[in-house]
Amino acid sequence: MRERDDARRRSAPLVITGKRGNVEILTAVDDAAEQLSLFPGLALAQARAMHPGIDVVAENTDADLALLESIADWCLRYTPLVACDAPDSLLLDISGCAHLYGGEQKLVADLRGRLENAGFAFSLAVAGTIGAAWAAAHHGEPASYACGEERAFLTPLPLSALRLPPTTLASLARVGLKCIGDIVDLPRAPLTARFGSEVLRQLNRALGHEHEPLTPRLPVAPYVAEQRFAEPIAREEDVLAITERLARRLQFAMERRGDGARRIELALFRTDGVVRRITAGTSRPLRNPGEIGALFVERLAALGDALDPGFGFDMARLSVLVAEPCQPEQIGGGEDAAELCRLVDRLSARLGARRVRRLVAQDSHIPELAEVALPAQTINDVAGWDVFHRYRKEAELSPRPLRLLTRPEPIETVAEVPDGPPLRFRWRRALHEVIAAEGPERIEGTWWSEHGGPARDYFRVEDKSGLRFWLFRAGLYRDLAQGAAAPTWFLHGTFA
Amino acid sequence: MIARLRQRLLALQRPPGITHGPDILPLGISAIDAALGGGLMLGALHEIAASGEVHLAAVTGFALGLVRLAAPAPRFFWIVEDMAVAESGALHGAGLDAFGLTPERHVTISVAHRRDLLWAMEEALRCRAVQAVIGEIRGGEIDSVAVRRLSHAAAESGALALLLRASPSNDASTAATRWIVHTSSAAGPHGPGAPRFVAHLVRNRRGPAGSWILEWSDSNGQFILATHTQPMATPALNRPHRQVA
Repeated sequence: MRERDDARRRSAPLVITGKRGNVEILTAVDDAAEQLSLFPGLALAQARAMHPGIDVVAENTDADLALLESIADWCLRYTPLVACDAPDSLLLDISGCAHLYGGEQKLVADLRGRLENAGFAFSLAVAGTIGAAWAAAHHGEPASYACGEERAFLTPLPLSALRLPPTTLASLARVGLKCIGDIVDLPRAPLTARFGSEVLRQLNRALGHEHEPLTPRLPVAPYVAEQRFAEPIAREEDVLAITERLARRLQFAMERRGDGARRIELALFRTDGVVRRITAGTSRPLRNPGEIGALFVERLAALGDALDPGFGFDMARLSVLVAEPCQPEQIGGGEDAAELCRLVDRLSARLGARRVRRLVAQDSHIPELAEVALPAQTINDVAGWDVFHRYRKEAELSPRPLRLLTRPEPIETVAEVPDGPPLRFRWRRALHEVIAAEGPERIEGTWWSEHGGPARDYFRVEDKSGLRFWLFRAGLYRDLAQGAAAPTWFLHGTFA
Repeated sequence: MIARLRQRLLALQRPPGITHGPDILPLGISAIDAALGGGLMLGALHEIAASGEVHLAAVTGFALGLVRLAAPAPRFFWIVEDMAVAESGALHGAGLDAFGLTPERHVTISVAHRRDLLWAMEEALRCRAVQAVIGEIRGGEIDSVAVRRLSHAAAESGALALLLRASPSNDASTAATRWIVHTSSAAGPHGPGAPRFVAHLVRNRRGPAGSWILEWSDSNGQFILATHTQPMATPALNRPHRQVA
């Protein structure tokens, strides 16, 4: 939302415009503009003609959506089930949450007070069904309605309160059906036959005859613990202390079901409405509060000033996003394995899981594809190396380099044609005279794949100063006659 | 009787869980072990520098040889800056396997900053499940306070702590030993030879300095002295007409 720049225009009525079809129309108007009988949907040209002094701002739907989502995040303080209904609505499922605030009325009052403080214009309604609440907030008297009252208050509302597509509304209006009361008692079969099933479904949903699922914006965590503070907290130590206290509460819940946490999120609600979400992963199911606390020590340390508590956090929530069954004792590991997991978790929390990796053997004979480095947190059991070890012994595989370059680097060589090892080569601008070579070891390309690449002939060479390298020639000279590209040389790794 | 009482007293004076003195890792070569006072001290930081960047592979081999000696199947961490991986390559699992190390007991950590590298090394050293920690830095000064912290962390757990450098440095360091390693020619008539290094022990807190030519023997998983197989002064293989066995 753009700030209006000068004082003269600040008093001018503000309208927001957007393009619908080929026409620039008003999408929102402020109070002053409304008093000039401008309304959303009016063409901009018409509005300008009526009141040349209005301040016109183009709409920014992306920013609007971002704002709506940030408000949705903030609403997580009331319930974990918050859905965004773009462009301008939020749906909160407060069943089972209201008593935490001392009842529905108090929850609504709290929400109303906070939104007012934040300077939003809004309308709030509570009802037994999503449809009824939406209708009440958008068209009716925003208030609280109990279950069963839907029919009574929906009857006088216009049909647009049912969230129907404009074409359906237009065709209903053509036959004189304008209020919900007009269709509520009509025979249902002809209604569906004429206007489609959407009308009846929306009506049934609003009345509570049909269930309407709410799709929360964020997945609902299986375990949640939260704490509100009378006085906002801002210090890192306090945040950590509260994290541990929440973790202790989660521990009991998880123990009862035999679960442990694999992914944990700490949500900190800042007093000005910003929500900070910090997640930490673990390499094995975890429920010890001390260890969970230790993960967030590292996460907060990695964040540093980015945490930015502002005027403080007035609520904290710890949720377990992913839980897994947790064995009392790791099989085959014991104390050492547990300690290693703790270390890997701590390192991953601070540096990022992608930086702490283990090597996993792969089923490929191409050297750079024969192994892959995966985050150590995600793999508990590295298999495959014993198989490789046996294969290496049995096949008497020629030596492999200790260090492999991330990608083979092209080198200039003088080599015997067609199959000889290089006599000298230039790598990274340094010339190496080869005094001994071993090879070739042919590694065929993946002929079954289009991007398999040519066959490679690997050589182990030693240069004058004793440096040992792993080189290969990609392509064969005998293929040259069949129109293949000329063979090229690469350096792939270094031996000790 | 007196001797027995003395022994009992000695046992009582020792804090529980700590054995007498630091553990020693013998290299299996009497000349080096004598200079080191029995072997490489575990629970202390050792610095191994390459004489130039191209010799980093030799330094890696030397360090991994030490790791291999530290335990039958050592769990080791290799902590490296992103830059170094791009420049010199990452550890290759197949190569580790050939070196007698088990790749599944290895964890690689790549870090963006020197600060993170030292922190990660310290954390890994404090863990009792880790037998060896190798940190690799490209160049530049290293904070002496950080080195002292690493030494303390290593002393706590008794793990082998190795700091690899791409080039020798002159900065004051509290490392127990400092080595400069470069590769040595090992080529024979049948092609390139086994991993062979010239290791200069340039700083040693417990004895004299020295230089040796070492070879890593894959078959029995230990260092052997290569000095007698080939003279150090003249690389004989420069002159192909003179065959030296």
